[in-house]
Amino acid sequence: MADVYTEEWFQAVRAAINAKVASLRDVPTASILIAVDIAGDAVSPYVEAGKERHFLVQIDDGHCSWYREGKPDETQELSFRFLGPAAAFDEVAAGLLDPIDAALRGTIRVRGDMRFLMRQADHVKALLDAYRTIETTWPRGGPPYLFEHEPLDA
Amino acid sequence: MRETYDAIIVGAGHNGLTLGAYLARSGLDTVVLERRHEEGGGLATEELTLSGFLHNVHANYHTFVDLAPPVRDLEIRRHGAEYVRPEVQMASVFDDGTALTIHDDLDRTVESMARFDEEDAETFRRLYIEAHGYVDLLLGTLMYQPPMSVKELTRALASFGVEDRSEFLSVKLRRESIDQFLDQHFKHPKIKAHLAFHAGICGYTTDVKGLAIGFPLLVGKIDNWHLCVGGSHRVAHALWRDLAQHGGTLISDAEVDHIVVDGNRAVGVRLSDGTELTARKLVASTVDVEQTFLRFLNPGDVPPELAERVRTAVKHKDWTLFSVHLAMTAPPAYEAASFDPDVDRAWVVNLGYGSPADLDEDWRLVRRGLLPEPHPNAAVNTLYDPTDAPAGRFTGLLRQFAPFVLAEGGEGEWDSIARWYGERCIRAWRRYAPNITDDVILDWVPYTPLEIARKIVNMVGGDWMMGEISLDNMLDQRPLPELSQYRTPIDALYLAGSTQHPHGFITFGPAYNALQVIADDLGLKPWWRRV
Repeated sequence: MADVYTEEWFQAVRAAINAKVASLRDVPTASILIAVDIAGDAVSPYVEAGKERHFLVQIDDGHCSWYREGKPDETQELSFRFLGPAAAFDEVAAGLLDPIDAALRGTIRVRGDMRFLMRQADHVKALLDAYRTIETTWPRGGPPYLFEHEPLDA
Repeated sequence: MRETYDAIIVGAGHNGLTLGAYLARSGLDTVVLERRHEEGGGLATEELTLSGFLHNVHANYHTFVDLAPPVRDLEIRRHGAEYVRPEVQMASVFDDGTALTIHDDLDRTVESMARFDEEDAETFRRLYIEAHGYVDLLLGTLMYQPPMSVKELTRALASFGVEDRSEFLSVKLRRESIDQFLDQHFKHPKIKAHLAFHAGICGYTTDVKGLAIGFPLLVGKIDNWHLCVGGSHRVAHALWRDLAQHGGTLISDAEVDHIVVDGNRAVGVRLSDGTELTARKLVASTVDVEQTFLRFLNPGDVPPELAERVRTAVKHKDWTLFSVHLAMTAPPAYEAASFDPDVDRAWVVNLGYGSPADLDEDWRLVRRGLLPEPHPNAAVNTLYDPTDAPAGRFTGLLRQFAPFVLAEGGEGEWDSIARWYGERCIRAWRRYAPNITDDVILDWVPYTPLEIARKIVNMVGGDWMMGEISLDNMLDQRPLPELSQYRTPIDALYLAGSTQHPHGFITFGPAYNALQVIADDLGLKPWWRRV
């Protein structure tokens, strides 16, 4: 069990991704750097309201090489960027919000090349599933937040 | 004039200027060449009627301004382009004195629709909310990236289970028309008429099979129309400023006669006055593919099969626009305001299309080269931008769906009938806004499809989208599959204009996407946020 957004949690995510990917027959042979920009929304206690936290995930040949907190616009060499309110990302991590639904509803915004997302749909789904399978602990209180606040897509 | 640059860009429309500014900021010695006396292409604002009245000759409607990366990257606002999003975006007025209004507030739009049909209004709410979500996803991952195929896109809908999560998106839409989509989800003809009209404004013909697949996206932007304060040309000027401030050069009255090729590599251009400019790294054309491949290049430089396909397989829109620009002492006061007062504040108004069938009848006439009984749409920019006319005065813009080639007399006939048809369009407006009398109209000028093609020569046949909007001319099929990825068979020659994905309109997309390809080819280190 790892506290969300800690080094231990990043390692748990990494291990979960790599375990999921190991069962796939086909993974992309490429280096992919993903930024996750999480905006404080006065709902999640993990990002101060009005502030942002930035995370970077490096995927090499389908496997997660590292996952860490970064700085804003630390690099422009990104393949994808995910942006959204902290509560949404917390709820995805807690398995309460389906990330594909969140993207389709615009709650989590995605920037990058859809061709890759489409061609590597199984791999993308494996990454997203892995993210939701971590046993996460929430030291400052955790989701569900939806029941106490306006729905995220309102 | 210097003779050697790193990058030569043909055409100073918004795509040429955008690509030029990015390359200049990347440290490339860049020149943008423009045939006309000023930059901007479709971003032309002129005092067509009287002094002090600013008329957008071509591009009037700007959408998703803040999703377009160049608006941020090139600091367009800092350079003086300011946008407003009208509170009452669009409206339809109908023959029975009723009106439907589209607001920048979903609840108010739904309220307006509910006066016609409550169930349809709630369907619209669900469609809008759903579409609004994936509009962001699709624009963020599809529009500002080189294109994929429709097949891949629909396969992806299946693999991500989108159909199961969506009430409105479905793979079968790629075989259906917008009319069919409307019939499946809505009942009231006036609600369907407004949604169909809006699709027409977006360049989508409502009776064409396959275009239903794009319709939810059009709904997602139904309240996202912006007006550029002081005229659309301000955007062109802002782009030029950025280009200039980063060392780029714009040369107007510089008509390209020839793209010079050496050993299958584009190495420069020759202007019509004989001047030769050399490109160390690239030449990018932002004009139509016909000019690029059939006029600017020697026949021996173009693979014969490509030349043949450019001649025969490039698809253009089968309708264009006839416009009337007006200078007025008052804004329109619609009779339908007694039904819905907000109609008098609507930026753009559909005058009288009361059902999708009305529009379909006009598409049929236009395809046969016939002039429809005018149902123009009327825009009064001054309602939201008082700077576009002298104090207390107003500009007006009527736009009518029209053929380029007239069945009787061909396109040349437009010169003869422009005033006559313009008067009919004004009379059509007056039917719904009786105060637009001759006394109120200080001056007006028609602007015909033929004038579009004369002024902006790359809008072939008055094709303001620079390519048909159809399933087989979008994404990686546009303008031809072999030219869709911004590269050409000639090394160092790129395509970066509205012939390319995503399409026409002021999206900045073709230039932005071409930039990514050029950056990869030249090994440029992006200073801009690629994602």
